[in-house]
Amino acid sequence: MKDFFKHNGILILIIALLLAAITFVVSLFFGGTANPVSNLLGVITTPVRDGINAIATWAEDLYTSAFETDMIREENERLKQENARLQEEAREGQAAARENERLRNLMGLREKKRDLVFESATVTARSADNWESTLTISKGSSMGIAPGDCVVDDYGNLVGVVGEVGLNYATVVTVIDSSTNMGALLERTDDAAILEGDFALMGEGKLKLTYLPENTELMAGDQVLTSGMGGVYPSGLVVGHIEEVHTDESGMEQYAVLVPEADLAGVKQVFVITEFDIVE
Amino acid sequence: MTRRDFLIKWTVYAVALLPVWFMDQFVLPRIPLFGVSPMLLPLAAVAVAVLEGSAAGAGFGLAVGVVWNAALYGAAGVPILALALLGMGAGIAAQYVFSQTLAGCFLCSAAALVLIDGGRILWGLASGDPIGAMLRVAIPEILWSLVFVAPIYFIFRWVHSRTQASTLF
Repeated sequence: MKDFFKHNGILILIIALLLAAITFVVSLFFGGTANPVSNLLGVITTPVRDGINAIATWAEDLYTSAFETDMIREENERLKQENARLQEEAREGQAAARENERLRNLMGLREKKRDLVFESATVTARSADNWESTLTISKGSSMGIAPGDCVVDDYGNLVGVVGEVGLNYATVVTVIDSSTNMGALLERTDDAAILEGDFALMGEGKLKLTYLPENTELMAGDQVLTSGMGGVYPSGLVVGHIEEVHTDESGMEQYAVLVPEADLAGVKQVFVITEFDIVE
Repeated sequence: MTRRDFLIKWTVYAVALLPVWFMDQFVLPRIPLFGVSPMLLPLAAVAVAVLEGSAAGAGFGLAVGVVWNAALYGAAGVPILALALLGMGAGIAAQYVFSQTLAGCFLCSAAALVLIDGGRILWGLASGDPIGAMLRVAIPEILWSLVFVAPIYFIFRWVHSRTQASTLF
C-alpha cells in the first residue's frame, strides 16, 4: 500500500474517476453520438474491422463454394419456381393496385404512401461483449445515419435500431438485445402489443411480445410487424414470427416468444432507413 | 530509470497491448465458444499490475479502461474506473497476498473477472434480468477468459523483463 501512495496512486485514481465522470456526462449529453474517444478509436480501427471482415467473408465464401454447392443448386431451383409464382402474383397485384387507385379517387380517399429512404451498409463487426447484442456497420453520421434509425436486412426484416453513431461507423442494437422496447402489430389479428428484449431469450436469439390484448388468439407462426405508433419507427417492418405463447410468473398475463425473421448471426448487408414517410 | 526509459517502457507495454486488443475485439468474437467470447482487456490490466505493482497497475488499468470503454456499447465510463481500481487491487494483492508470478496473476485475474461479472449481475438484477440466465453467460465467460491468462501474462512478462534491463532490445 505504501508503494501505491508513494507512486501517485491516489492521483491516478482521481484521474480515472474524473475521466469516468466526464465520459458519463458526455454520453448523457451526446445521446447516441459516440463520445470523442470512441469516435476516434472507431475511425482509426475502421480499416482493421473492414480487413478482418473481408477475410472472414472470403473464408466463408470459400467454404460455401467447396462444401455447399449441391445445396445452393437445389436452392436455386426452388428460387426459380418461387420467382415464377411471384411474377404471376405481381401481375395480379398490379391490376388490383390500378383498381384500388380508381376506387380511392372515386371516394376521395388520401392515397396510401410508403416512402422509405435507405442507406446500404455492411456489417463489419459483431459485439465483443456477451451481455449485449450489437453489430457494427460501415456507415456513420457522415452518410446521414442517426441514432434511432431502423436497420433492415435485404428482405426488409428488422435487424435492429442504430444505438450509437460515429463518423464512419455505427453501432446497431439488434432486436433481441435486452434493451429493445417498441410497439408491435400482429399481422393476422391487427392487435397491438409491445416488443421487449429479454436477457434470458437473448442467448437463444429470440425476444418477447408482451402486453397482449385480452382474448387474443395467437398461433405459432403469426407474423409480427412494427406498429409505427408515435412515429418514431416506420410501421410495417417485419420483426419475426411467434414461436410459442407462455403465461408469466404471476399467471395473469400472457407473453409470446418471438423468433426474429432476420438472420442476426449471419447478416452481412443491411439497409438503414434514414427517412420515412408513411400514410396508412 | 530515466524519463526516456520510462516512456519507452510504457510505449512497449502499449504496443504489447495491441495484439491482445486485436484478438479481443476482432478475432475471438467471431469464434465464440459455448456461446461466449472471452474478456482479454481486463486480463492485460491485471497482468501488468501483477508485474509492475499497484500504482503502475492503476495507471495501465486506466489506459486499458479507456480503450475498453470505447469498445463497449453504452459503457458510459464505468470500465475506466473499474479497470483502474482492479489494476490497483491486483497490484496490491500480488505484492502482499499472492506472488508476482503466473500463479498470482491467475488468482488476481480470476478475482477480477468474478468482480466484473458480479457487478454486471448486480446491475442486471436491478433491471430485473433473471439470475440463471446471467450465470449462464458469466460462468463460461470467466472460464473461457481464464484460458488466456498465461499467454497474456507471458507477453507482458517479456516486456517487463526487457524493460528492466539497461537496454530494451
